[in-house]
Amino acid sequence: MFDRTDPAPLMQRSHGAAHVVMGARGLIDLSQRGSAKAMLPRMTAGLPEIVFLNTSGGLASGDRLRFAVDLRAGTRALATTQTAERAYRAEAAPARAEIALNLGTGAWLDWLPQETILYDGTRLERDTTVDLAPDAGCLLLEMIVLGRLAMGESPRHLHLRDRRVVRRGGRVIHHDALALDDDALARMTSAAMTGGAPAMATLAMIAPHAPDLLAAARAALAEPGVTAAASAPPGRLVIRLLAADGWPLRRQINRLLRALRPDPLPRIWQV
Amino acid sequence: MVIAITTMTTAPIATPEAARLFLQQILSPAFPVGGFAWSQGLEWAMDQGAVTRTTLPVWLADWLDHGTGRADALLVALALRPGADHEGLDDLARAACLTCQRLTETQEQGAALTASLAALTGADLPPLTLPVAFGRACAALPLPRPEIVAAWLLTQATGLISAAVRFMPLGPLQGQRLLAAMRPGILARAEWAATADQDALASATWGADIAAMRHETMTTRIFRS
Repeated sequence: MFDRTDPAPLMQRSHGAAHVVMGARGLIDLSQRGSAKAMLPRMTAGLPEIVFLNTSGGLASGDRLRFAVDLRAGTRALATTQTAERAYRAEAAPARAEIALNLGTGAWLDWLPQETILYDGTRLERDTTVDLAPDAGCLLLEMIVLGRLAMGESPRHLHLRDRRVVRRGGRVIHHDALALDDDALARMTSAAMTGGAPAMATLAMIAPHAPDLLAAARAALAEPGVTAAASAPPGRLVIRLLAADGWPLRRQINRLLRALRPDPLPRIWQV
Repeated sequence: MVIAITTMTTAPIATPEAARLFLQQILSPAFPVGGFAWSQGLEWAMDQGAVTRTTLPVWLADWLDHGTGRADALLVALALRPGADHEGLDDLARAACLTCQRLTETQEQGAALTASLAALTGADLPPLTLPVAFGRACAALPLPRPEIVAAWLLTQATGLISAAVRFMPLGPLQGQRLLAAMRPGILARAEWAATADQDALASATWGADIAAMRHETMTTRIFRS
């Protein structure tokens, strides 16, 4: 509610990179520099959690941010972000964010970051790349909110390239890229785009057993105020979700996560 | 009785005139690829009333500029380039299909195109998804790449419009008017695709994705997607 309309102090570029390496018995290596931090809260139940944080408070023109996770053979973990990521208006070069997830044999990662809020005029290019060993798998969430909805902001200028690529044995097996520009924004209300819904999410599970969960996913898609559907191409389960607001979207995703995975929700989410 | 089956000449198509005839032939609805069976989720959207006679042009424009029309145009253009890695592009094309029916649609039509071409030319090539198979088949044609991509887009748009003509109160001539109105957009998209790079593969048509997913659970349907 105290968001500034003109984020003036963000002209200075920030750079950050945090890299976590985990094995089945816990942390192996942690490196962090610049505005990127990674925390590993002590867990009493569920998967080990990695919580990434961008201390610069958001992504502005020219910023570079990198979060990386390596899970060694047989390691299971959950990675998330401490807060919603804000992407601010950029006059010049786009902000670049890179998420690199490397999963060894039999490893599993739930990548469940909090939402990305795109302010009017945002220029953001983000690549999420997952490299899977033959029998590794992952669950990938991405939530995007167009504008500060509480302020009634509806962006008219945007440059977004947000791409998720999953490879197994070096071959691409999942490619989901969202491109938004001014032309797309002007057309968002049409049925083929988002029907005007400013809160968007995709949940994708990449694993041989993922299609077995299609019925459970469909049964969990019952949250009022959310338009969503699921499909399961071989080795994948993909769910697209659209809502008029971030809250019903979040409630629907919580419901889906409970239906699709045995572990508790990320602790950081439960505020 | 011995029936001799004549195969088309395997000599390369050397002139633009011959190349245009080849394009017309393999993009014709008579060429056994099976395009008539698919609607890319449009059937569900029409059934729900989300797409009507009035809003069909908008659906088609979004398909072309921000949806699978754009993605497939890019895949065709990438497959046309000299030295294209068709297997890698095929992986990418399948990976970018986020729904089951869409994947089946592009794989089955691509396999049918490959098999039909093999029957004509004797060329024994592995099946690929439809845009990559089409691009591979046209890569050696002596025609500008935008022209080939535009011809492809016109055929794809024709398929969507004929699905609409079969499903809702829309006369064949009204459908042809819509198609004619798409000409400038198709030419612009084809020009874009001819020089865009692989990183431009993206979409923003989440409503169409949801329509394609919901089509899977429709109880009565004419189309396979």
